Amino acid sequence: MPSDYVPILIYLLVATFIAAFALVLPHYLGPRRPNPAKSDTIESGKLSYGDARRRVPVQYYIVAMVFILFDIEVLFFYPWAVLFWDLKWYGLVQIAIFAFLLVESYIYIWKKGAFKWK
Amino acid sequence: MNDLLLLSPEIIIAVTAFLVLTLDIIWKGDRRSAVILPWVTVAGAVAALLAVVYIWPAASDTYGIATDTGNFVPMLALDRLAIFFKILAVLTVALVGLSAVDFIAQRSPFRGEFYVFTLLAGLSLMLLSAATNLVMIYLSLEFLSISSYVMTAYLRRDDRSVEAAIKYLLYGAVASGVMLYGFSLLYGATGSVDLATIARRIGESQVSLTFVVSAVVMILSGFGFKIALVPFHQWSPDAYEGAPTPVTAFLSVGPKAAGFAVLIRVLVVALPEYSVNWTAILSLVSILTMTVGNLVALWQTNIKRMLAYSSIAQAGYMLIGLAAWSAEPGGWAGNGISGILLFLFAYMFTNLGIFAVAIALENQLGTANIDDYAGLIRRSPYLSIALIIFFLSLIGIPPTGGFMGKLFVFGAAIDRGLYILAGIGILNSVISVYYYFGVVRRAFFVEAEDDTPIRVSPALNLVVTVTMIMTLLIALYGQPFINLANSSAQILAAAF
Amino acid sequence: MIPLSWWLMVSAALFSIGVYGALSRKNAIGILMGVELILNAVNINLVAFWRYVAPNDISGQVFAIMVITVAAAEAAVGLALVIAVYRRRHSAIVEELDILKQ
Repeated sequence: MPSDYVPILIYLLVATFIAAFALVLPHYLGPRRPNPAKSDTIESGKLSYGDARRRVPVQYYIVAMVFILFDIEVLFFYPWAVLFWDLKWYGLVQIAIFAFLLVESYIYIWKKGAFKWK
Repeated sequence: MNDLLLLSPEIIIAVTAFLVLTLDIIWKGDRRSAVILPWVTVAGAVAALLAVVYIWPAASDTYGIATDTGNFVPMLALDRLAIFFKILAVLTVALVGLSAVDFIAQRSPFRGEFYVFTLLAGLSLMLLSAATNLVMIYLSLEFLSISSYVMTAYLRRDDRSVEAAIKYLLYGAVASGVMLYGFSLLYGATGSVDLATIARRIGESQVSLTFVVSAVVMILSGFGFKIALVPFHQWSPDAYEGAPTPVTAFLSVGPKAAGFAVLIRVLVVALPEYSVNWTAILSLVSILTMTVGNLVALWQTNIKRMLAYSSIAQAGYMLIGLAAWSAEPGGWAGNGISGILLFLFAYMFTNLGIFAVAIALENQLGTANIDDYAGLIRRSPYLSIALIIFFLSLIGIPPTGGFMGKLFVFGAAIDRGLYILAGIGILNSVISVYYYFGVVRRAFFVEAEDDTPIRVSPALNLVVTVTMIMTLLIALYGQPFINLANSSAQILAAAF
Repeated sequence: MIPLSWWLMVSAALFSIGVYGALSRKNAIGILMGVELILNAVNINLVAFWRYVAPNDISGQVFAIMVITVAAAEAAVGLALVIAVYRRRHSAIVEELDILKQ
């Protein structure tokens, strides 16, 4: 029923209002005295250096590619998890073999030093 | 028979691959990896071969996964055709593994992984030749492709190896994307991914012809890429030249055999309704492939590049067999498919043998120029004799396996009245004599600048000997091989 | 409901853009992006056909998941090769890869 979603709608409206309120009110009430340090990029308390648009070390790409591969392999756990009770031992053994292959390749990547940050 | 038992050759190869990978990690790729792992690979391949022989009598089943709605989704067929290609795959793995021993140990810091990739590529060949389902065909084809890309780039500090791989990958990715679009159209037209069901739906003529025709054209481009048929062959000379030579040996046999397996299965099982149309297309492609391959091969100075064009031409000859196929049983030469199988069997031993000779020379000289073969008869009489036998086989002169293959393929074409096609095939074989014997002429009649004997390692010697004996045996004691090819050519159109 | 032909038109357009990109780009990364578009066109096709032609059998959906996975693997190998080439030659332009003679 569409009416079931009314509480969610109210919740969204309230959340939007509070966020807007918190942003707009200081803008009008607070004093503004900008200086170079204030308008600089926030670097969690450290001093910032250089430009954000620069080449990232190639080492990072290996981690990124490995991440993408393992990330997508997780896709195959979802159908199994949904049908966990129906598939019984048959499904469990199959997913165990699949997981074993993933772990084996993970160990291989690890032992080959792909995660070492040089 | 138990399902797992029927899958035992694949399981053995997969377990061997992971064993090799684990041992390589444990030994950290040291001397033991280089010396022991090739033999582990060969042992795995031999065990798989024994398993194939063991399951041969059971060859008739189709198996797959049962869904909870009671549907049975056939994934792999265990027919004679699949078993034939399994034999081919394990033999290729064993022979390539053996011929790579010194080459890889000398050139790459990663000595163990090479055998893992060889085994996995072999596994993908076995799965591909048995796949009866578009999903399975796509998965195993990509499995084979990705393993081949990595193997081509194996010497990653060598500019040529990496360049070959990137070209191979870019061509391959586009070709497989187009093929996949064809698969999706075929799925849309018939509502099924199973080849037999697709054939049934087409037979009941519930499908739109436009859909099926455009789908088939796209699918053929993907398979044509794997086999390196002529409009889709540009990648192969570069990939063959740049790849490490044992990988070139694999590329010239593995993907080609797999491409033929899947082409035969898709055309014969799913699309027999259109056999009149594809006979015409395949005849044209076959003529183009043989002619272009042979003519360009005449000008090559690098042995690997020459063999690339030669293997394009050989694929053209094999395609004649498929063009000559028809549903009725053939005459003495079989139904065309049996000719292809016999041809592929002989071609595998011959080509792997030639590449073993090329690897032996490259290990010592560091180059792969045809001029380096000058005076080979003084430097290594054994290799020179082997070279002559292999080239005779590629030309198709008795008493060699290549002659038997050509006899049956051309015979099937003449049986079907495709006289022009067979005639062009024979004409092309005559042209090929020129460049094959260019190498032989150098080996026997040109003086070498340097008379140092070529030292051949025991593993390579084994490969040369085995391939030479088999090349001769297929012709001299041919009946068992002809029977094997004939009985493998009966394809079970999975009856669902 | 949106007719099937609309989905097929979107997919065909995406496929054509992908093929054009793959054939016209000089940068290897650009070609790989074209290939990804082709594969996404395939996925749209598969899922649309599953919904409209054969909704009782989930082969189409499973096929799409497989395509996504394989595409990731292929892209990973492709990018690794591009990096290997770039490290040595400082270029990913395909036309500049000409050591192997044509």
